[in-house]
Amino acid sequence: MRHLALLTLAVMLVVPIAAIAADAPAEVALTIENHRFNPDEIRVKAGAPFTLVVTNKDGTPEEFESKSLRIEKVIPGGKTMRLRVPALKAGTYDFFGEYHEKTAKGRIVVE
Amino acid sequence: MGAAFVITLREAFEAALVLGIVYTYLYRTGAGLHARLVTAGAVAGLVASVLMGWLMTAASGPIADLGPDVIAIVVMFAAAGLLTWHGWWMQRQGRGIEGSLQRRIDEARDRRRLWVLALIAFTGVFREGAETVLFLWGLMSQQDASALSNVMAAALGIVAAAALGCATFAGGRRLSLRRFFAVTSIILLFVAAGLFSSGIGRLEGLGVLPRSPEVWDTSGVLDDHSLAGSFLAGLVGYRAHPSAFELAAYVAFAACAAWLFFAGRPTMTVVARSERRERAAVER
Repeated sequence: MRHLALLTLAVMLVVPIAAIAADAPAEVALTIENHRFNPDEIRVKAGAPFTLVVTNKDGTPEEFESKSLRIEKVIPGGKTMRLRVPALKAGTYDFFGEYHEKTAKGRIVVE
Repeated sequence: MGAAFVITLREAFEAALVLGIVYTYLYRTGAGLHARLVTAGAVAGLVASVLMGWLMTAASGPIADLGPDVIAIVVMFAAAGLLTWHGWWMQRQGRGIEGSLQRRIDEARDRRRLWVLALIAFTGVFREGAETVLFLWGLMSQQDASALSNVMAAALGIVAAAALGCATFAGGRRLSLRRFFAVTSIILLFVAAGLFSSGIGRLEGLGVLPRSPEVWDTSGVLDDHSLAGSFLAGLVGYRAHPSAFELAAYVAFAACAAWLFFAGRPTMTVVARSERRERAAVER
């Protein structure tokens, strides 16, 4: 029983990493500066996964969050992080910076 | 400044609720002496959060890109499992309370069970801990005029969450033991189902699970990012726009846990067997 639990845990750890590391989709750059996203609108094609390369130029951390994409990611100040976004259907997906919600807003338009 | 208050309150609320329930449980079962173990679990969660926050700042590359997500998802599923286990245990204890309180209390002191409580405290704190640490870190490194008031507001948010945890403790002390067990195991059931469904949602977000369509959108009525919405999110797993998988995961998990809690009433043989075991333990 205990071994089974450990095995399940190990699989839970390994499978996502393996699945994600497997392919390298197109990259879309996104910058955070003065607690704002630049660009604040990103256009991508429907049905193709892509990688958001988010660079935080502020000295403070920001949390990239999107309820509709189900992504939450803290990006420490001065860091660049790559967020993999799976293939999306056409539509608009909002995102925001959780730590500066008033200014840090943007959306991904999938067409 | 208000934003900083809301953020820390939101992040710390679930941890405070869970800790409140666990401490009350120990207190009510007369195992209060063992609260130290739970405190150790919570402190370990805090230390792990700081380490994780530091790692996220220091590391780069695929580890920084994916590591936090994988850890977050594992912690969510682990917490869901632990809380269900504890809820199930309380439910089972609650049934046998009348007439055999002492026996149940002795069982509650079982070391292994206490380790589960310590782990619950650990996952409760660690789940949102690293984010909170990074957020506070950011606030403290800000140089502008609003920095101090922001830090104060953030600290107040944590204090408010702790007050909610204390209120849980105070309320739980006043309930009859049977009712306390019943109420808290139901709360834990919902919290666990919410955690499980969040974990599934994150897997969708990462592309490990295929994306499922959104079932409804109530963000106009109650956004899960508002204070009330995020309380409901922590308490019963409320989502303003859940995906089909998230909803299915929630319903399936809640149904399984409810069945586990309420269906299999202990049969005579189980009771007899456990009594025999206890008698043997006393004789030893």
